[in-house]
Amino acid sequence: MARNVVEAAKKFLLLGQCVPTVKQNAAKIRVKRLELDENLLMYFRKDEFYYCHDPDKKCKTGDIVLIQALPQKLTKLITHEVKEVVYPLGDVTDPVSGKKVAKERYREDIEREAELYGKTKSTFDFTKAPPRGWQDGKKDFTSKPTYTKFHVFDENDPYAI
Amino acid sequence: MLRRFSTIFIQNRGIKHQVKLKWVRPPYVPAYKPERSGDLESMPEIPPTALGKDYALSDEIKDAPEAVKKIFSVAHLGQKEYNALVTKELIDRVRRHNYDENTAETRIARLTGHIRCLQETMEKYPKNVKAKQTVQELIDKRKKLLKYLRQYDYRKFEWLLEKLNIEYKGHPESFHKLSRKESLRKLTEMHCEDIRNKKLSDYRNLLESQQGPFLKSKLEALKFIKNEQIELQLPVTVSDQDIKKVEQQLEEWTIKDQIKKQAMKKKRNVLMDLD
Repeated sequence: MARNVVEAAKKFLLLGQCVPTVKQNAAKIRVKRLELDENLLMYFRKDEFYYCHDPDKKCKTGDIVLIQALPQKLTKLITHEVKEVVYPLGDVTDPVSGKKVAKERYREDIEREAELYGKTKSTFDFTKAPPRGWQDGKKDFTSKPTYTKFHVFDENDPYAI
Repeated sequence: MLRRFSTIFIQNRGIKHQVKLKWVRPPYVPAYKPERSGDLESMPEIPPTALGKDYALSDEIKDAPEAVKKIFSVAHLGQKEYNALVTKELIDRVRRHNYDENTAETRIARLTGHIRCLQETMEKYPKNVKAKQTVQELIDKRKKLLKYLRQYDYRKFEWLLEKLNIEYKGHPESFHKLSRKESLRKLTEMHCEDIRNKKLSDYRNLLESQQGPFLKSKLEALKFIKNEQIELQLPVTVSDQDIKKVEQQLEEWTIKDQIKKQAMKKKRNVLMDLD
């Protein structure tokens, strides 16, 4: 019985968010859970972290992904694999209408508004913009965790603050 | 007596160091400095003959005499008008339409212009406390806006970083005061990791260097066994495939070995040159 439960639990898909990590061959996923405090009879947030196998590097920091337990552990650390990227960070598609969304508005509407006011040359064009990642490691330092600078090294690490 | 003096003069912190590490505390950099705030360029160049922001719109100024133009130029009007032009230039880089004042990109551009002007002020007058506070608040606000923009429109965020020449770093897990103990602990960990990696790579090199001679002897042995079996008319257990496989491995090893030796030679030459 117990073994069946464990095996069934392994087939569950977990929804989590990708967080920055120094590991190069795995993605670190944070799964938010609620835990009941029996004295207060209240639920408190409890985070669990999973290292996931991701050979194609399909998930980037901040993406909401579905993960599943591997039949066997790949290493001591890597126990899960990334199944699917549900919501890429900052590039959301509305599941009902299938249109692109920025914050609470459709991108078409934003475009239309700019056209009505008179578009300038400096306008940001979403359709021509390259996909995410072209500034990674140049001006955008979010793929690895930042830390307090603790020593003067010969090479300056941009992730040290 | 002597011992007492020695304890006074030589500070003993109570930690016995097994490894000799030299720790250099990172120098203090004020938060308004461009390297901390993430500004990769200073104020854009604006000629001192440029007209003030509002005066440039007027029709009369276009065919006014030189003396009048000089009076309405930024050099004459003062720093405030100059700063307004700086902000305007930065906003014009990212403006969506002519009436765009309050979208995320224009707000960030406006803050950036203000920050860069104040950074200039701070360079001139480092004791200006009011400017210091203001620039700190503006930097924090800009970082917050960038954080939100990143969450809902990543492509625009990256485009904006490129246009305005800003660097964005994520929030660290904790903001805390740096302590000597923590730094030493981290340095020791790195030192241990280095030793471990060096030992592992040395062992790997040793094993790889033994691979070649072993493969040679294996090849000879296999050929010898095959010949013996044919001579004595016994069933042949060594196939041609096995021999070919070993030959291939040996070839791969020799290529790898040559590359390694060349690298070693280069290293030695560099060291000799340095001496």
